Amino acid sequence: MIHDLNSSPVNTVLSADQDAAPILVNVFLRGGADGLHLVPPLEDDAYHRARPGIAVKKANALRLDDLFGLHPDLAPLRPIYQSGELAIIHQCGTADESRSHFEAEDYLQHGGPQGGGWIGRFLHQTRTPSDGPLTAVSIGSTVSDCLRGAAAVAFRSLDEFTLPDKDPALRGQLAALYGKAGGALGLAGAQTLQALDRIEAVRKASHAPKNGAAYASDDFSSGLKLIAGLVRAGVGLRAATIELGGWDSHFTQLALTGTLMPKLATGLAAFHRDLGSDLRRVHVVVTSEFGRRVAENVSLGTDHGRAGIAFIMGGGARGGKVLADWPRSGLIASALDGPGDLPVRFPIHHAVSSVLKRIRSEVDMTKVYPGLPPGELAV
Amino acid sequence: MSAARPTRRGFLRLAGGAGALTLASCGKLQQLAKLLPLAPQPDPLKPFTAPAGQSIDLVTHALNRLTWGVAPGEYQRVSALASAPEESLRLFVEEQLAPEKIEDRYVHAALAPLEAIREPVAELYEYKPAQLNDELTRQAVVRAVHSRRQLYEVMVGFWTDHFNIDSSKTDCRWFKMVDDRSVIRPHALGNFRDLLKASALSPAMLFYLDGRANKKRNASEKPNENYARELLELHTLGVHGGYTQQDVMEAARCLTGWTATGRETRNGLSDVAMGLRALAGNDRGGGIGRVKFEANAHDDGEKTVLGVKIPAGGGASDLDLLLDIVATHPSTAEFIATKLCRHFIADDPPAAAVKTVAGTFQNSHGNIKDTLRELFSTGEFAAARGTRIKRPFHFIVSALRSTGSVTSGGNGVQRSLQVMGHSPFHYPTPEGPAPDGAAWLATLLHRWDFAAHLTGGQLPCSKLNAGLLLDCAGGRDALLRHLFGRQPDSAELAAAAAVNDATALALASPAFQTF
Repeated sequence: MIHDLNSSPVNTVLSADQDAAPILVNVFLRGGADGLHLVPPLEDDAYHRARPGIAVKKANALRLDDLFGLHPDLAPLRPIYQSGELAIIHQCGTADESRSHFEAEDYLQHGGPQGGGWIGRFLHQTRTPSDGPLTAVSIGSTVSDCLRGAAAVAFRSLDEFTLPDKDPALRGQLAALYGKAGGALGLAGAQTLQALDRIEAVRKASHAPKNGAAYASDDFSSGLKLIAGLVRAGVGLRAATIELGGWDSHFTQLALTGTLMPKLATGLAAFHRDLGSDLRRVHVVVTSEFGRRVAENVSLGTDHGRAGIAFIMGGGARGGKVLADWPRSGLIASALDGPGDLPVRFPIHHAVSSVLKRIRSEVDMTKVYPGLPPGELAV
Repeated sequence: MSAARPTRRGFLRLAGGAGALTLASCGKLQQLAKLLPLAPQPDPLKPFTAPAGQSIDLVTHALNRLTWGVAPGEYQRVSALASAPEESLRLFVEEQLAPEKIEDRYVHAALAPLEAIREPVAELYEYKPAQLNDELTRQAVVRAVHSRRQLYEVMVGFWTDHFNIDSSKTDCRWFKMVDDRSVIRPHALGNFRDLLKASALSPAMLFYLDGRANKKRNASEKPNENYARELLELHTLGVHGGYTQQDVMEAARCLTGWTATGRETRNGLSDVAMGLRALAGNDRGGGIGRVKFEANAHDDGEKTVLGVKIPAGGGASDLDLLLDIVATHPSTAEFIATKLCRHFIADDPPAAAVKTVAGTFQNSHGNIKDTLRELFSTGEFAAARGTRIKRPFHFIVSALRSTGSVTSGGNGVQRSLQVMGHSPFHYPTPEGPAPDGAAWLATLLHRWDFAAHLTGGQLPCSKLNAGLLLDCAGGRDALLRHLFGRQPDSAELAAAAAVNDATALALASPAFQTF
């Protein structure tokens, strides 16, 4: 009966020549990362006045331009910025004004007040016959909401992505049966078995970063190392998501972000070095659900705000600059939103659109972000 | 991260008004249920007869297509309904077309610990969306695997796809629960026109396709066409059904003013205030989930849809007039018949069967039972055996069902559905998930992995007694006949003999991917 199946077109190939395909890597800073702390406006006196206890001092920051500096804990990112491969977008956010983690993340991952995920819609629109089991990957225990609509897998390590090995003969016997099956099933079986081989190759290779890259041992760096391995192995990866959580710095912000910023910077820097020239086709987007209140609170922290920060690395990003439209007055009360928040000047989905257009110039952004006003940024 | 939002339920608990409710999380109740002697158990596996033909026979074919998978003993039971297989098929169809007469105690008992699936709509906002999603998915899986009303459950799946709603969109997170129990399930084997109206006024649909925002309060407001377009394109006539852009705009005008109340009614009210209002008994969630017609947002002028005039001044009755026009249009009969024939016969449905089925749909005024009865009596249905490829949900459910596994529809199954991209109620766009299994073959590795985990006893929340299954089937070769619906060929026999776990191999093999 298997032989009766028409050999209809199948969307399950793991072809060997995936090596040139562009790949999107979406990094989510869960908790509301404080853009004003990561990339402080050093020359804005109102910033220093609003944060007498926690502002980044001019003398400590790494100068980026005539207004902004980089927090010293992010130092590993500076050479990437200077080489033009890293763009920073300040005053970046979504239209969600709830200041709620749940609502804001929901809006960000779904790409507006709708179902599905923005990467899921992008992958669906640009799908190719070579999409396969490793087309969309979330590093973690669950598939990120931004991948909704795509067949996506979640794993922390490649050891989770295999056939159980308690029955060593299973694989060979499946190869025999699918080899005889013909049609769509036979083709899919052959491609899946090929995928298993590639994944096993990655599993071995992923322990050997290139170009002298040294990953730290934390989960974020380990995850980026895994993604780099998938990129190099040509397994048909088109999008990967990874999180670095814990940015909800209501309380003693310096201590809290003091451990996160080095993780973020060393992870991205190792990823950058590891991929080397491959980074030209790997587009890294770093966002958070919102930024934080301009003024520090009584517990030397900051509360939920509006605009935050985004980073774009690799993939031909127009980097080496901080995109901003800073109020001439500085961050005085009249320049702020609601309870004293940095207003959103650059929609995150415009920053993302610039990247997706580089990945696939003909993509229809109104289908990736239905209902949101289209636009792009010079990053 | 911020603490969980307080809810009215939490408030009541704090107020000491409903301490017992703290036990009501489904996980705890299910743990409790395990300890009780009354914990529901499905019928135990008993020795059963498997098909013995060289190819799939009519009874196996009927079970393949009318159910979510051939449970142990079902082939024997249905074969024994009559001496001729054609008559067994007919009697099985009649049995399944009367689900209310089929005893289903185990499923009722198994779902009893779930609480949100029975909550009134206004109370649903007190649940986190993750719990609603979990319960709704558990219900779908448990019913598909364990219900004896199998054709009913298959049709629930069919209409769920047809009237697709992504439960991750805004208030659909709460209202899809209501859509499932008040729209899809009551009408799955009922009348199409009734189903259509229930769907049109489903709060989840009003949110999913923006009907709630379709208003015409002044000359400058333009109707929101989203639902009207999908009503014509996806729910009734089909994209080639002969309607025009003008028809879409006119249909949208007919529907202006219908809206549903969502959680924004909470805005400005704190959780404590909501709790106090609820305690005072004068407000159950602020009218959340209420569907209403706002006459001042309705365009009350004359409309023409598909050549039929709808007079001015009709107000709320425009809805019924519009639904009558689209539900009785010949293109709708053909579109629904095509989809049913694709579902039950072949990915590329034979034209003759479509014509016959469409005729019955039209003549019976959308009677779904009559339409299905006609479909199952066509020669094309009987002939198209083993030719379709299972989609991931079907694969997972049929693997559980045919191995006599017991599942709560929890963690293990849900994770597998997610990695295969086929979580129920989560397809993002209104056309619903692709109907042809070939579109889902990138999930093959996950299917193999699922098979090995299930048979190896490593799938959380599901249990398979592999030894008992093998004994009841009467040995390995008989188990293969049961799982394939026919005699295994020499390659399949050799493969099964070469592995430690022949059941995993069989579930992972090409033959089990088809039905």
